[in-house]
Amino acid sequence: MPEHDRPIKAAAEKAGRKDAAHWEAQEQKFLQDLQANKRREILKQLSFNILGILLFLAAWEATPHVIPWMNILLFPPPSDVIGTLKELIASGELADGILISLQRTFSGFLIATVLGIVAGLLTGRIRLLQYLSDPILHGMRSIPAIALIPLSLLWFGIGEASKVALIAWGAFFPIWLNTFTGVRDVTPVVIRSAASLGALPHQTMFFVILPASLPFILVGLRQGLGIALIVLVAAELAGASSGVGFMIATSHQLFRVDIMFIGIATLGFMGYVIDRLFALAQTYLFPWYTGAK
Amino acid sequence: MPALIEIENVSKIYATTDDKTTWALQDVSVEIHRGEFICAIGPSGCGKTTLLNIIGGFIQPTEGSARRNGAPIVKPGPDRGVVFQEYALFSWLTSRENIEFAMRLKGVPKKERRIHSDKYLDMIGLKHAADRFPGELSGGMRQRVAVARALINEPEILLMDEPFAAVDAMTRATLQEELLKLWEALKISVLFITHNIEEAVFLSSRIIVMSPHPGRIKEIVTVDLPYPRDRGSPEFGALYAHVNKAFHA
Repeated sequence: MPEHDRPIKAAAEKAGRKDAAHWEAQEQKFLQDLQANKRREILKQLSFNILGILLFLAAWEATPHVIPWMNILLFPPPSDVIGTLKELIASGELADGILISLQRTFSGFLIATVLGIVAGLLTGRIRLLQYLSDPILHGMRSIPAIALIPLSLLWFGIGEASKVALIAWGAFFPIWLNTFTGVRDVTPVVIRSAASLGALPHQTMFFVILPASLPFILVGLRQGLGIALIVLVAAELAGASSGVGFMIATSHQLFRVDIMFIGIATLGFMGYVIDRLFALAQTYLFPWYTGAK
Repeated sequence: MPALIEIENVSKIYATTDDKTTWALQDVSVEIHRGEFICAIGPSGCGKTTLLNIIGGFIQPTEGSARRNGAPIVKPGPDRGVVFQEYALFSWLTSRENIEFAMRLKGVPKKERRIHSDKYLDMIGLKHAADRFPGELSGGMRQRVAVARALINEPEILLMDEPFAAVDAMTRATLQEELLKLWEALKISVLFITHNIEEAVFLSSRIIVMSPHPGRIKEIVTVDLPYPRDRGSPEFGALYAHVNKAFHA
C-alpha cells in the first residue's frame, strides 16, 4: 500500500466504512424488491381490469331485476345475450358480418389513405395547388359524410361501392389535413440538409418530407380510421344487406334487443382492437418515432 | 486559379415582420482559400448566417456575386457540406443511415455504403452508436453524426452554422478539438459561424468579425498561433482581447 493511502484508509475504518460485499447485497435486495413491485403492480392492474368488467356485467344483470318497471325484452341481461351470442357465432352470422364490415372499412380507408397522403404532399409543398384547392377542400370537409348517404346510394347503388365510397370520403379529410400540416411544417434545415447532400426534388419528397411528416400522417390515419367506422355504421344502417350495421338495423325490425346489443358491442370491440393494432404497428414500423419522443 | 469561394460586394435585403426592410448583408467581400479555417463572428443580425446560406446556395444575394472555383453559386450541392445548429439530422434514420444518406441517393450498393459509413463512424468515434436513432443520442453525438454525414461526400468546404451552440461547455471543447483533427487530416476548408469569441480564436486561421444593421465585415483578424492551441497561453489571451475589442467596438 502506498504511504499516502494510509491515513485515508485509517479514516475510513474509523468511520466504520462497509465492505464491497455489503454494497452488493444491498444492490441485490434493491433489484429484487424492484422486480417484485413491478410484478405486483401488473397483477393488480390485471385483476382490477377483470374486476371492472365483472362489476359491469353484474350491474347489467341486476338492473332489470332491481328496477321493477324495466322491460326485460328492451333490456336483456347478459345471461340472455350470451345465449344469442353463442347462436350467432355458431351459425357464422357474426363472423360474416364482421368480415364484410371490415372489408368495407379497409377498402374505403385504403383509398382515403392513398388520396389523402398524395393530396397532403402536393398541397403542403406546392403553394399554388394549396391556394387552388383550399376553398373547395375545406368547404367539402365541413359536410358531414352522413349527409351524403342518399346521394351515394343513388350514384353507387345499394352494393359495396356506395359504402366504400362514403368511408373513403369521410376518412380522406383528416388524412389529407394532417399530412398537409406535417408536410408544411417540416423543419427547413432538414430539407436544406438533404439538398446539400445532393437530393433531387423527388428524392427530397420521398426520402425526407414524407418520413419527416410521418408523425402527423399517423395522427391523420388514426382519426381517419375512427371516422371510417362511424361512416361504415351509418351507411350500413341506411341501406345494406350485410354487415354489423345491418345486423343492428334488422334486429331493430325483429325487436331483438339482444342481437342489437351484440352488434353494438361488436362495433366497440372492433374499434378498440383496430386502434390497438394501429398503435402496435406504429411502434413496430416506426421505432424512431417513439424513440425520438 | 481563383480562390475556392469568392464573395464580391454581396448584399442581401430582407423584409422584417412589420414590413420594413433590413440589410442582412451590405457590400460584403471576402475570399475563402483552400485549406483555410474561417470563423465568422458577430452579434445576432450581423448577417453571418446569411453569408453561410449564400455560400451554401440556399439563398441568392440581392446584389453582388458568390462564386465557387470561379463559377457562380446557384444551388446547394454535395461539394459544400453543411452542418446546422441542431435538429438537422433525419430523425427517422439511425446514425449509420444518416451518414449513408448521400450514398443512398446515388444508389450505392449496401455493402459499399457500409464500408464507407464504418470508416466515418470510426472517424467520429461512434461505431457503438451506429444503430441508434438521433432521438437516442446526446447533443454532442448528434453533431458528430451531422459532421460525418456532411463529410462523406468529400466536400471541398464544410459550412458550419453554430454547430456547437446547443451542447454543454465540456462537450463543446472536445468537439472543437475533434473538428480540428478532422480538418487537419482531410485538408478541407471550413466556414464556421459562431458568436463565441473563444471558440473562434481556438479554431480559426482567420476570423471575420461582423457588425449588424446593416451586416458588414468590420475586421478580418489573422490568427497565426500554431495548432493545437493552448487556451491558457498569453498569446491566446491577447488575441481574444483583440477580437473582443473588435466585436464590441
